[in-house]
Amino acid sequence: MRLILRLAWRNVWRNPHRTGLTVAATVFAVLLVVVFVAMAAGVHDKMIEDSVRLSSGHVTIAGAGYLEERTLEKFVHFDPKLARELDTTPGVVGWAPRVVGFGLLSNGPETHGIAVLGVDPARESAVTTLPGRVTEGRFVGGAGSHEIVLGERLARSLHAQLGEQLLLYSVAYSLEMAYDLFTVVGTMKLPDPAMDRGLGVVNLRDAQSFFVYGDRVSEVAILARSADETSVVQAKLEREIPGKDVAVYGWPQVMPELVQFIFLDDASMYIMLVILVVVVAFGILNTLLMSVLERKREFGVALAVGLRPKAIFSLVYVESMLLAAVGLAIGLGLALPLVLWLVGHPIDLHSEAMRAMVELLGVEPQIVWKLKVMNPVGSAITIFAVAAIAALYPAFKASRARPVDALRSI
Amino acid sequence: MNALRIVGTALGVLWLAATTAVADVAAAASEAPLPDAREIARRAEDVLRGASAYTDGEMTIVSPRLPAPRTVRFRSWDDRGGDRSFIRILAPAKDRGTGFLKIFPNLWTYIPRVERTMRIPPSMMLQSWMGSDFTNDDLVRQSSQLDDYDHVLLRVEEGFQGLGGAGPYRAYVVEYRPHEDAPVVWGRIVTWIEVVHASPLRQEFYDEDDVKLRRMDFGDIREVDGRFVPHLWVMTPLEKQGYETRIQIHEIRFDEKFDDSIFTTRNLKRRD
Repeated sequence: MRLILRLAWRNVWRNPHRTGLTVAATVFAVLLVVVFVAMAAGVHDKMIEDSVRLSSGHVTIAGAGYLEERTLEKFVHFDPKLARELDTTPGVVGWAPRVVGFGLLSNGPETHGIAVLGVDPARESAVTTLPGRVTEGRFVGGAGSHEIVLGERLARSLHAQLGEQLLLYSVAYSLEMAYDLFTVVGTMKLPDPAMDRGLGVVNLRDAQSFFVYGDRVSEVAILARSADETSVVQAKLEREIPGKDVAVYGWPQVMPELVQFIFLDDASMYIMLVILVVVVAFGILNTLLMSVLERKREFGVALAVGLRPKAIFSLVYVESMLLAAVGLAIGLGLALPLVLWLVGHPIDLHSEAMRAMVELLGVEPQIVWKLKVMNPVGSAITIFAVAAIAALYPAFKASRARPVDALRSI
Repeated sequence: MNALRIVGTALGVLWLAATTAVADVAAAASEAPLPDAREIARRAEDVLRGASAYTDGEMTIVSPRLPAPRTVRFRSWDDRGGDRSFIRILAPAKDRGTGFLKIFPNLWTYIPRVERTMRIPPSMMLQSWMGSDFTNDDLVRQSSQLDDYDHVLLRVEEGFQGLGGAGPYRAYVVEYRPHEDAPVVWGRIVTWIEVVHASPLRQEFYDEDDVKLRRMDFGDIREVDGRFVPHLWVMTPLEKQGYETRIQIHEIRFDEKFDDSIFTTRNLKRRD
């Protein structure tokens, strides 16, 4: 085996040009795979993080069936016990209780149906970026202030100026008419056009008294340390807040469209990478086959002097594996530092075309990279496996050479 | 041999079908000729609303959310010919003076507490009216039950038990099928109408997927100016448990001439 390894190593460098090209192809494949996978991981992570910080949090506690039908009938009682539970659950970085209702917001002749979001301003900024999205004026004040902050488009279509009082009209949880005047104190820019056109934010307590909701809230948004910890925190909370009327949702349940997008995006990327790897594999196959055909005479002589076909098979196979290993080593050696550098250097894409993505997904247009252990390991295994399969045929071909024919050919 | 048997069976089936058809025709002919379905529907509408109607009544909302039923007292002026109506809320005290003005297809509301008038946009017509199981659409579109639908007489039902054990009644069962392009929310409405006095007894509302969504029962039928008018309307949503809205009419007067000034946004803001 040592002998074969040494022979193979020498054979590999007998034709440096050919070897160099094959190695270069492998290096290129490794580089592309690692960088692309890291980019997808980074971009997807950022999408999740941005969406989570826009509204839902990583984990959401709400009334059972809330995701199917977000009405006032779906609620949780937000009592001190629940607050204590959230404060003492490890992995919970922040939490924000909210009331989500529906109302008609009217300014003179203009009336629009809106989602009314009641938030605790101090708690909200610990979980979401909502308070930071105010572009004009300021965020809602304390309980009893009767202030409202509107999406920019909503404010525009209502012709609402800062300081104006608007009528909010709805049906309370107690099934009586709910109406009150709210003062516009700010407008905010929301990436989702539907939200920008149809969201009004008020103080949590104002929303609770408007909807005659008592200590009820529609949802509690919870921030974990990262998206990766979502299921852990979700499981912990599920254990600690039992009850058939309460549900604990993870962000994939709250935002299935995001999960779907990531799945599709990953799928198309992997298909592309598989095609790339297969092309590289055919390159390697071609090189090896050419070299085997060129060395027909050599193999014939080796067989004639008594080398067993099995040994020739091993020799050629080990040569191929060495080629792949060298390519892989150089590829990873280049890719890892590159990706590690890229991780610290996201690329901003504030172009007109990217605005569409922002509006569609509520994500900042930025390309970021994230390196997970599975990325280089998985790439190495995949490329090695493909090379191992590609090498089978040339090795087989070499071992089947017949001494008489081989010696007769050049 | 087999072929003969098949032909024989087929002939037998045909014979059976033919005789049954003759029997049906004979049965139909023995009764009085059935009136036109649209005419039945028109008479029922007339019993409920007349050309115009002034109503004094109260609406009671029953819900598992509420420890006790919630009651809303109101007066309404319904000018069917002009396709306009006006409702004034008298109680609860908190909402006293609140007004609703409908001039088809628009609906305005005035809230005295905050001194604001608001037009309820068309997209909000399916929202609950004052927390009840009635929708804004029910206020605005009632008259279109005649104009926006085709009417088909399904059958005559004997022994129909009315609300609170009243009856038994003999009732026409009429199906209201919306016109192709009619701006209505229902897939069809099935209405039970008492044969002699054309009092509506029940309506069942189906959505476009033919799911029965709600039922309205009419009861407490009293004679007013020769009309046999249901004074109790009970709306039951069928997709949720324990909800019900009752309208009890205390007084109803028909075919009065209403002053045009009633149906104005100015009148909305008047303090009574």
